[in-house]
Amino acid sequence: MQGEKPKSAKELAKELTAQYLEEARTAHEHGKYVAYTTAVSPVEIFVAHDIIPIYPENHSVACITKRLCTELSEAMENEGYTSHLCAYARCDLGYRLVGKSPMGGIPDPDFLLACNAQCFTLTKWFEVLSRQYRVPLFVFDTPQWIRDQEARKSILRYCVEQLKELISALEELTGKRFDYDRLREVVRLSDEASRLYRRFLDMASYKPSPITIFDALIHMAITVYLRGTPQAVLYYRTLVDEVQQKADRGEGAVPNERFRLYWENLPIWFKFRDHFNLLASYGAAILTSLYVHAWSYEFDLQKDPLETLAENYVSVFSNVTLEERAEMALDLFRRYSLNGMIMFINRSCKAVSFAVHELRDLLSEKTGIPALVFEADMGDPRFYSEAQIRTRIEAYLETLERLEG
Amino acid sequence: MKERLLERLLEVANKPFEALKDLRAKKKVIGSTLADVPEELIHAAGLHPFLILGTNEPIRVSAALMPDNCCSLARSNLELVLAYQPDFFDGFVLSQVCDTTQHLCDIWKRRFQDRYFENFLAPRQVSRPSARQWVAVEMRRLRESLGRYAGRAITDDDLRRSIRLFNENRALLRRLYDVKRRAPGLFSNREFFDVVKAAFFMDRSEHTELLKPLVQWAEGEAEKGAADGHFPAVVAGIVVEPPQIYDLLDEVGANVVADNLPTASRYIYYDVSEEGDPIEAMAERHVSRPNFSPINDQVERIYTDLIELYREYAAQAIFYIHIKYCESQDYDLPDIKRKMREEGIPMLVVETEYQSTHLALMKTRIEAFCEAVLGRV
Repeated sequence: MQGEKPKSAKELAKELTAQYLEEARTAHEHGKYVAYTTAVSPVEIFVAHDIIPIYPENHSVACITKRLCTELSEAMENEGYTSHLCAYARCDLGYRLVGKSPMGGIPDPDFLLACNAQCFTLTKWFEVLSRQYRVPLFVFDTPQWIRDQEARKSILRYCVEQLKELISALEELTGKRFDYDRLREVVRLSDEASRLYRRFLDMASYKPSPITIFDALIHMAITVYLRGTPQAVLYYRTLVDEVQQKADRGEGAVPNERFRLYWENLPIWFKFRDHFNLLASYGAAILTSLYVHAWSYEFDLQKDPLETLAENYVSVFSNVTLEERAEMALDLFRRYSLNGMIMFINRSCKAVSFAVHELRDLLSEKTGIPALVFEADMGDPRFYSEAQIRTRIEAYLETLERLEG
Repeated sequence: MKERLLERLLEVANKPFEALKDLRAKKKVIGSTLADVPEELIHAAGLHPFLILGTNEPIRVSAALMPDNCCSLARSNLELVLAYQPDFFDGFVLSQVCDTTQHLCDIWKRRFQDRYFENFLAPRQVSRPSARQWVAVEMRRLRESLGRYAGRAITDDDLRRSIRLFNENRALLRRLYDVKRRAPGLFSNREFFDVVKAAFFMDRSEHTELLKPLVQWAEGEAEKGAADGHFPAVVAGIVVEPPQIYDLLDEVGANVVADNLPTASRYIYYDVSEEGDPIEAMAERHVSRPNFSPINDQVERIYTDLIELYREYAAQAIFYIHIKYCESQDYDLPDIKRKMREEGIPMLVVETEYQSTHLALMKTRIEAFCEAVLGRV
């Protein structure tokens, strides 16, 4: 409408999230289906087939940020599960027992898709859900993206073959023929949103950086659950414009920026604000991680859509070899002029945490930058030692100050 | 007689690195890890396949390389090769079946840059046609790689010879298992599973030659071994470690009549067809094996397979061996327990680690279970 003030990215995010959830909750009334999927998965196939993807992980993040993790976890521990499991899974399985949710819950699934490029945990967690709801589970199996060109060709063929099997399973579920032309369009939109999302992330290369990782973690939500839609494209275009203006004005996210840090792993979701403030008081900002880059896909629109989907999802940072993962991180060090690194070993996430000690060695060796390594949990305050971690972060920043001279 | 027939097998099972110290002088030794690395391929390349099954010795080195909540199988596997047997292996083929095994490969490879190293990228779904195709492709890749390392291509005939040898070995172990079921007085659980374990370490022809007279003797004595005082039981899990757990089962009179262990039935059952293309035959075997917790998209098999074994072998109890921090088992267990309660099947979950030294508590739990649930004193 003429004269109407364009919506800010924040306003758009709120509106899009509400619409998306409403659509998911009323899916069955509109003859649509709900599928649970992992955050890293070829969701474009669902979008092209009018299946609404729901991400139990995102719901778990909402539970964690509202400090519900311990309560939900204890509920599932009472059912015999262990507190060693992923905090997302613990929140989710706990939510299904006690029904507590900061957003009115999520609809039950008609279908489950687990892509193990992200992790193996999700396949096991979804197995539990598959038994509980008596709905099919499709494991999209992505062998490690080893550095062997011939092997990679075979892996891709295997993945494409599985995507065809997935499509057949969805046709069977919905009784509807899959539309490949529609898939092409969805992949094109997904590509556009992903590239804009990457541009947004890359604005952390400005000095001072107009964003920190905390902005990235908030704004990644839309690409996780709405990629493949025109709304996601509009959202990231708006966001990129906003951040660009901030950069053009020379506004930094942190006053007197001195330390530009890399963060390894998922964030500690319930410590966002505290970490930001503590770091900012030293002029330090965490700018990026491989984790937030996991959704900056680049689809090749000239290729068969199944092939480019397979290629992007199999090669996510959690499914490459350690050497390649280190190279991906080093690329961020170079492009963002990073001068510090915090390596978080996340009890919840073996997939990302397992080789962190080795990764630290590789990165420190190549950059000469000292690293802070600490162990905690991304979601459960019972496994977060406040005083100890605070002291270690402070000591690390003081070390960086000394090195800076 | 029995002692003489078992002597070498038990020695190899319990002290493999001493019993087989001259192995490397004869052949190059390729260590593999659980689960399902096609040993026939390693053997067909003229190499010696050796299954790395961790160590019960203290952890000194590997703890610093991985997170605290990693399972003791992974931890003690790495410990074994880094701290205890750094010179035993010429190379490795490591299987990737879960997050831990996948990322362990990266750490391992970096520590042994001077050795042969290959991943075995097993499919982590087995119910769709793509899995069957993929495992054949992956086995061909491994065949090429091993052939290059061995300096000679593995021919179909080489592979068929190895398949025949392994099939023969499995058939003998199946016969022995049959006798054990009927005649628990002949062997203890520990002895039987040690005999199986020895196969994973020693030359398979030698193992087969040792098995032949043992099986012959056992079949001849079967009638005498049907001792009373035993009850049939199923053992479920991935590995049974430390092996003294078998001794504890022996002490309460449990006779293990069936299992779903990758270190026993998953090896013993399901031969490779000796007809047609050998790789295709091995791929066929791979996808038709019993359920294995990490590789499972048929979600109810975690308990339906166990219930089937329990009924088929008229067992009275299931002992589920839970390796602490095994994420796969952690996710399965609550549903398995619930199902067993519903079905009225007595099941005891025994939580253990490779480095468990305080077996007294475990012994008390097993005894209490047998008394309370099975009414055995």
